[in-house]
Amino acid sequence: MIISSLDASADTIEVARKLEEEGVSFNFSQNFGDRVLTKLFSAGLSVSREVEFIKYMNFAFYRIALTGVAAIVILIISIFLMEGSLSINSFLGLSDNYDESIVCLLTGN
Amino acid sequence: MMNNSYGVTKEKELIEASLNGDKNAFGEIVTRYQKMVARTVKGMLGDSVFAEDIGQEVFIKLYYSLSEFRGEAKLSTYIQKIAVNLTLNEIKRRKRFFTLFSQKANDEMYAFEIADQDTEERREASEIVNKALMAMDPKFRIIVTMRMLQGYSTKETAEILNLPIGTVLSRLSRAQEQLRNILLNL
Repeated sequence: MIISSLDASADTIEVARKLEEEGVSFNFSQNFGDRVLTKLFSAGLSVSREVEFIKYMNFAFYRIALTGVAAIVILIISIFLMEGSLSINSFLGLSDNYDESIVCLLTGN
Repeated sequence: MMNNSYGVTKEKELIEASLNGDKNAFGEIVTRYQKMVARTVKGMLGDSVFAEDIGQEVFIKLYYSLSEFRGEAKLSTYIQKIAVNLTLNEIKRRKRFFTLFSQKANDEMYAFEIADQDTEERREASEIVNKALMAMDPKFRIIVTMRMLQGYSTKETAEILNLPIGTVLSRLSRAQEQLRNILLNL
């Protein structure tokens, strides 16, 4: 019966029932349910409070993330409009013009 | 003591009540499904005290993931998936432990005690099934547990284990072969 229960066409529900009748049954000990509830609720945690907190965190995260992305996009557009390109120099605010005063300052001449 | 006053309350109502913090509602869910979980966990880990710990973990994990349950599948399927995942993780963990620290044989990893049975024949049947299961490769053992102990069809087994039906059928056939050899040697 055990081996034939693994045939693809076997009536598995019937096999499981027969096995149980033969004494092959698996149960947890008495008071298993009470122990689960004690473990869950003795810490004073509440699923509903946790769920709400996670929902608010998700909501806040997406708002902040979208705002940040929008700010970056606006910044990139404004740099492009001011500098005319999106090169590294544009981002760093360095122009291509040679500034003699900076050179004098750095070299001490 | 758990308050068992939910009678034929529908699953959806029990879940809603549990999410609202009604611990008796969740207790009713535990009562309804603990035998099903016991068959999976003990079928895979043997009839041992470790299995009881894993069983508790299944329901604790269920409790904290209830808000993610959309109701598209049956609650029993959802619980079964949690049980299978936790059980397989436990097997992998023990395998690593015993590989690192011990050369104990596979059957010593799973100290099992046969629960009190009312007749010698029932004890013997239970012991044979336990030994046969523990001697199997875990990936075949889970198929046998789902089919033989839980009574799931091939399609249901594939859904719970997240495997293609073809893979389940192929493992069924190999499990049958392995089980035949094991039972002959017992």
